Amino acid sequence: MQIKSGSLDSRKTKGGPLIKKTTKDKLFALALLTPSIIVTVMFILVPVFDSVIKSFQNYKIKNIIAKIPGEWNNFDNYVKLFSNNKLLPSIQLTLIFVGGVVLSQFILGMAMALVLNSNLKGARFIRSVMMAPWIVPTIISGLIWMWIYQPQYGLLKYVVNIFSFGNVSDFAMLNNPATALLGIAIAALWKQIPLTALLLVSGLANVPEETMEAATVDGANAVDRFFHITIPYMKSVIKVTASMAIIENFKQFPLIWTMTGGGPNNSTSTLAILSYREAFVSNNLGSGAAVTTVWMLLMIVVVVLFNFVFKDTNVD
Amino acid sequence: MKKKQIIFGTIRYLVVALILLFLLFPLYWVLITSFKENMEAYKFPPTFFPQLPTAKAYIKLFTEDQNFFRYYINNFIVSGACAILTTFMAIISGYALSRFHFKWNKWVVAAFTSAQMFPIVSRMISLYGLMGKMNLINTQQGLVLALTAAMIPFSTMLMASFFDSIPEVLEEAAFIDGAGRFKILFSVIMPLVKPGIVAVGIYSLLMTWDDYLHASTLIQTDSLRTLSVGVSVRYLGELSYDWSLVNTISVIGVIPMLLLFFFFQKHLVKGLVQGAVKG
Amino acid sequence: MSKMKKVLALLLIVVLTVSLGACKSSKKEEPKADVTTEDGEPAGEEVSESDGEYEFTEPVTIKFANYAVLEAGYDKFWEDVKKGFEEKYPNIKIEYMTAEYGQMLTQVVTWAGGGEIVDLVLGEIPWIPTLADAGLAVPVTDAFSEDYLSQIYPSMLEATNVDGVPYGIPMYASPFVMFYNKDLFEQAGLDPNAPPTTVAEMMEVAPKLAALKTADGNPVYPFGMTTGSVSVSGSCLTSLIYGFGGSVLDADGNLDVDNDGFKQTFEFIKELDDKGYNPQVSKLKDLRNLFALGQLGMYYDTSWGFNGVNSINSTAKEFIASAAPLSGGAGKGESLIQAHTFMMANNGEAQVEATKLLIKYILTEKVLAPYLQNVAPGYPSMSALSEIPAITESPVLSGALSSLNTAKGIANIPAINDFNIELTSLAQAVTVDNKDIDTAINDFKTSAGSILGN
Repeated sequence: MQIKSGSLDSRKTKGGPLIKKTTKDKLFALALLTPSIIVTVMFILVPVFDSVIKSFQNYKIKNIIAKIPGEWNNFDNYVKLFSNNKLLPSIQLTLIFVGGVVLSQFILGMAMALVLNSNLKGARFIRSVMMAPWIVPTIISGLIWMWIYQPQYGLLKYVVNIFSFGNVSDFAMLNNPATALLGIAIAALWKQIPLTALLLVSGLANVPEETMEAATVDGANAVDRFFHITIPYMKSVIKVTASMAIIENFKQFPLIWTMTGGGPNNSTSTLAILSYREAFVSNNLGSGAAVTTVWMLLMIVVVVLFNFVFKDTNVD
Repeated sequence: MKKKQIIFGTIRYLVVALILLFLLFPLYWVLITSFKENMEAYKFPPTFFPQLPTAKAYIKLFTEDQNFFRYYINNFIVSGACAILTTFMAIISGYALSRFHFKWNKWVVAAFTSAQMFPIVSRMISLYGLMGKMNLINTQQGLVLALTAAMIPFSTMLMASFFDSIPEVLEEAAFIDGAGRFKILFSVIMPLVKPGIVAVGIYSLLMTWDDYLHASTLIQTDSLRTLSVGVSVRYLGELSYDWSLVNTISVIGVIPMLLLFFFFQKHLVKGLVQGAVKG
Repeated sequence: MSKMKKVLALLLIVVLTVSLGACKSSKKEEPKADVTTEDGEPAGEEVSESDGEYEFTEPVTIKFANYAVLEAGYDKFWEDVKKGFEEKYPNIKIEYMTAEYGQMLTQVVTWAGGGEIVDLVLGEIPWIPTLADAGLAVPVTDAFSEDYLSQIYPSMLEATNVDGVPYGIPMYASPFVMFYNKDLFEQAGLDPNAPPTTVAEMMEVAPKLAALKTADGNPVYPFGMTTGSVSVSGSCLTSLIYGFGGSVLDADGNLDVDNDGFKQTFEFIKELDDKGYNPQVSKLKDLRNLFALGQLGMYYDTSWGFNGVNSINSTAKEFIASAAPLSGGAGKGESLIQAHTFMMANNGEAQVEATKLLIKYILTEKVLAPYLQNVAPGYPSMSALSEIPAITESPVLSGALSSLNTAKGIANIPAINDFNIELTSLAQAVTVDNKDIDTAINDFKTSAGSILGN
């Protein structure tokens, strides 16, 4: 406190020695950053750290209530998860879900962005109305799609019935283990495509027109231009968009929980669902924490790998 | 050549039309279901326009359901307070991150980046215990604080990218003129990053409006609940089954944010894009 | 642009003031909640309770975790209970702590983790082991006199046992019973007063029901069995397994599924699915919905499921009838008992005494009879109330009255909810996932075994 006020006073003497200014800068910056750092550490990093510790302990509800610290249990939580065949299918499902959603989101978003960027009539109007799904709260978007998928009166059942010429008359997206994850992915895409498309449109605006024209004159076709000019120029936008999408879908919980609760027959039981079930349905917080730890590690690996791959191609 | 252009043009429109259909038809579907009677909603094949349009569900919601509007107002209070708090903290911290380059900056950035990634489920228990010690459970202040914490990492980094685009010469000039550091920040630099401020504010408003897990764990009293939790608690329960009401709620629940978005979209879009491209 | 600025500034100001105002007011209210009665209740200070035993020297607030307060159809009853009780005992206040049905147990636990232990929970029997294990429920023998407990049906009280000690006071109970639609039976040329009693009989009448269409041209499902991924569906499946004479858990809570009844149950479920008789992966509320709309001939539910049916179609009482659950294989049509049960924690003498008064207040004919008649039909736990007209004259309750005698409980283990979900996974595996029954049961044994091993 004293140092701080001292620095404030000395500020009045204009243009002091250079070293002093950087010290003051440091203190000022620190003061400005402190609230955010405290809040982040306290509400996010400490709880996460705490949960990693609990993953190595025998920690149940009793422990919370009676305030008994958990006991080290020799990796039991992890051993159990690997031995009961739940973790690996969950990891697989999570990766499929994230990969599938991120990839299709990118392809559809890019298609939309390319068209919107091509002097289309009403592009501005389309750009703003297409954002509507992004605003819809996740829970409500889950409801909307559950209503569309409803097995007895749902719209989708009707549409499938018509397009299959009456051959498939009882299509129920979320009831079939083969399609349930797809059903959730569609709902996730619906909410996420608008933002992706929007960011990509803006990225396209950064591609210099002269370069494009020069390439056209040189005889490059549209596909070549797309891969050799557009994509490289948009690298940073693509990188940000994709990593945002990866993180968001890795964390996806409320949507899956409201739509299927992990069923049918665990076909949508991603790591998010598994950790919630272990921790809060089985009431075994230690093994729930073990799932979240694996989950976080996996996410870090994927994000780091993603960044690494992107950096690599950037150099080329 | 001309033929090719026509084909190309048709494909363009087809792509837009299909994606727009996918994005907008579900909203239309919800809207018309909300104007159907339950018995008509349960009809198969479904009707694409209500045969007997009725505003019954709306009337029921507006006259009987005081709780729904309670949730609604709560959500505005919580999200609004969060947006303001987040924006303020993002401004000062983002400024510090952008302007003062020190060794430990990269650690702060690393902490923020990783903090964005951690799933909420993994920290709920510890967070609950922590908030309990601070007597913040079941209070709107506690919820605001927890949500703000979740928003700060992204917002700060977004804000920092805006400050990055302001030339430092301006501050040096102001400094030589004898302006204090706070004055430089708040009256010289801040006006220049207004689009960023609006973007961060609206973005955090939208994101906290969507929160489910925080509110469902930290709030127990019905009169303090926010919209997402309120809806799932009251209208998705084991016993309720009223699809036209659920659809009505969806419509009413989406409209204010939609309006807000259309009102501010220029700033929000610009801000997010600028932040995303730079960040 | 400048207009935009103004609007933005205005908006921020409004939000800020509103939120500040809200913060202030909620702060002000908080201490009040602890001290309760202040304003407008002059006589509230020193009322001694007529029930004698305990004198409340200070106002008490009962924290009552109750999901039903939020459910349409139930909310009014619970608001009336609060009003009536607080009028009768001005020194005691009820504070409802609410959460969605499916999240209630998790919430009670999380709240306790933050230091807030609720005095009373209204919930299902499968919640008991978790609460008891965590110390959030205490044996009711600690609080209630033997005399009072002896007025409760022994089988219902026993269903709340953990290690031989009852941990709950059932409010009302019901085994899973079979509801059927008398109108559909008539349309199919069946006797509406002679529902099938065995699985074989049911499969005989099913094709006739399956041939029907509703007035809108929608199909009719003959038989509904819930298999959705929620705990209560697992309980319902357990009930069906009992009906086949099978078992799920032994008395000590170990896995006990190597019996014919267990396997036959899932063969039956598979057959239902192959023939398209059963709506797939449905939750009870989906079945109630279909039943209410006349699209379901028969289905399994607890008696209070009628509330769900009635709230969709208020003419349902005209066609609904109940019957004893089916018997299959070597079974005798036994069923699993379910009860809405009170579980109480020990937060000090005053809290316990106040909570006791509340339970006793609810379990009187005056309060409970209208509830069982108009809100949620169920069999009252107090034997003194079993002869009231609300029960004997109810179309929903009377048909299945006999099944109450053959209904059983299940070992109360802490992991029962997750175990139940695993049972629904097994049902889903043999139906929508088309797994071979033996493989599916083996998979089930692995995953269920690891849950029970917790």
